[in-house]
Amino acid sequence: MLVKAFGISDVGLKREGNEDSFSTDDSLSLYVAADGMGGHLAGEIASQVSVEIINKTFRKWVDEEAGVDDIFGEPDDSLSLEGNYVLGCIRLANRVVYEMALEQKKYHGMGTTVVIVLVTPTLIITANVGDSRIYLVRDGELEVLSKDHTIVAEQVEMGMMTEEEAATSSMRHILTRNLGSAENVEPDVFEIEPTNNDRFILCSDGLTDLVADEEIEEMTNNEDDPEALCRKFIDKVLKRGAHDNTTIISIFLSDMRKTNEGPLKKIGLFLADIVIGVQKIIKKIVP
Amino acid sequence: MARMILMFNKQVVKEYPILKDSITVGRNEDNTISIDNLAVSGYHARIDPAGSDFILTDLQSTNGTFVNDKKIVSHKLSHGDNVMIGKHVLLFVATGKEADAEVGEQKMDLDKTMMLDTAKQKELLAKQKDAAMAARPAEKVGVVSFIDGSNLGEIELTKKLTKIGKAATSEVKLSGILMPPTAATISRRPSGYTISFTGGMSKLKVNGEVVKDSVPLKDFDTIELGSFKFQFFQKESKKK
Repeated sequence: MLVKAFGISDVGLKREGNEDSFSTDDSLSLYVAADGMGGHLAGEIASQVSVEIINKTFRKWVDEEAGVDDIFGEPDDSLSLEGNYVLGCIRLANRVVYEMALEQKKYHGMGTTVVIVLVTPTLIITANVGDSRIYLVRDGELEVLSKDHTIVAEQVEMGMMTEEEAATSSMRHILTRNLGSAENVEPDVFEIEPTNNDRFILCSDGLTDLVADEEIEEMTNNEDDPEALCRKFIDKVLKRGAHDNTTIISIFLSDMRKTNEGPLKKIGLFLADIVIGVQKIIKKIVP
Repeated sequence: MARMILMFNKQVVKEYPILKDSITVGRNEDNTISIDNLAVSGYHARIDPAGSDFILTDLQSTNGTFVNDKKIVSHKLSHGDNVMIGKHVLLFVATGKEADAEVGEQKMDLDKTMMLDTAKQKELLAKQKDAAMAARPAEKVGVVSFIDGSNLGEIELTKKLTKIGKAATSEVKLSGILMPPTAATISRRPSGYTISFTGGMSKLKVNGEVVKDSVPLKDFDTIELGSFKFQFFQKESKKK
């Protein structure tokens, strides 16, 4: 499997500093983006520290071949070992940012969102806290693989608000979960199987505020290079006023081979049909 | 649509649309805008539509109603008015999107991401949530039910990713000469359950159609994998 990834972050046109942080580690196939909040550089610190801790901790656990019980906090048995690594890293980063915010006055009130994609040959793991997003474009169609932790998203899920109302609501940027504001945080973690030509987009709300899902889908389908795609997204955001920092990571998968795929595949499938037919006949004869 | 935005400590708590009917503000739960705070009277104020305008009236409340820091008895609301009731502020937003953006710039930077942080707001939110949760159906879990006479019965899909195949680590273990270690997977995603073909010589069919990559699953879809046949549906989860 071939993984091509590129990440970019832009301060935009209205903000003085960039509170977003990101990392692309191709050796681990671990991709992280974070959107910090909190004045006087604190937001920047929260996102930077989180990204750093997630990377360091994940590498440490992989190197040590840590077991599921070695992660930070209770393991989640609905997840794979790697899924639990991702979960543990986020919990740990949260605790560190939380402690920093408690101890130092200048960091008081700081926090950050986080989105993670981990690529392995058999499994894609996605995780998020806050309103940064993860998109999958597969077979030309866009799917959201993250859950927005905002008041409006929760109200939509509960049927108290429509999607249309949510998009224009003045509360759309108020988070119900982030890293740093509580001692513990539970991220939403999902695991899916990789498919050839899958494309993943991780982004902060600087992109999603100004570029609709349909446009993200179309632009991702029309570009074959992750770096060129990231730059096109940034150009679009800048043209539309870029009121916020924007961070984007694009990950393109290719050359995925499914087992038993090759020149013999057709013969194999034909053989399979025969064997299945025989099995069915045997089942009928021998009740 | 005109709206009232309820704020506490300069943070938005909730917003309420004002339509054709009168609305009331007060501590009692049967108010349209119910504010659980001792500084607020049981029935504190009322907003009545009058043509294209809205009239705010104080209902002889104990602590009074203030518009832009002036005590009022009755007041015609204009866009951007700050209505103070106890320690809470109701921000009036007139009809129209342009007006909305203007308020955003003047009063608070609504484009800026912020965390819901005061205990009071969390409490209010929790209350709203409880009410909604009560009316909401219980959490569901996907199930595959074998209908091929293989005695495998029903298997709950409790993992985020369920592997189907011959491998011992598969959650749904199927035997057969042509069954690969993992033939297919079912993943639970924000949008629901999706089945994917992983590989091998056993064809994957959903409702009779061959699946080469992945398709979302709907209740009572029939899945065929080699000689196995099973149905997918969701049922109420026992957990939680």
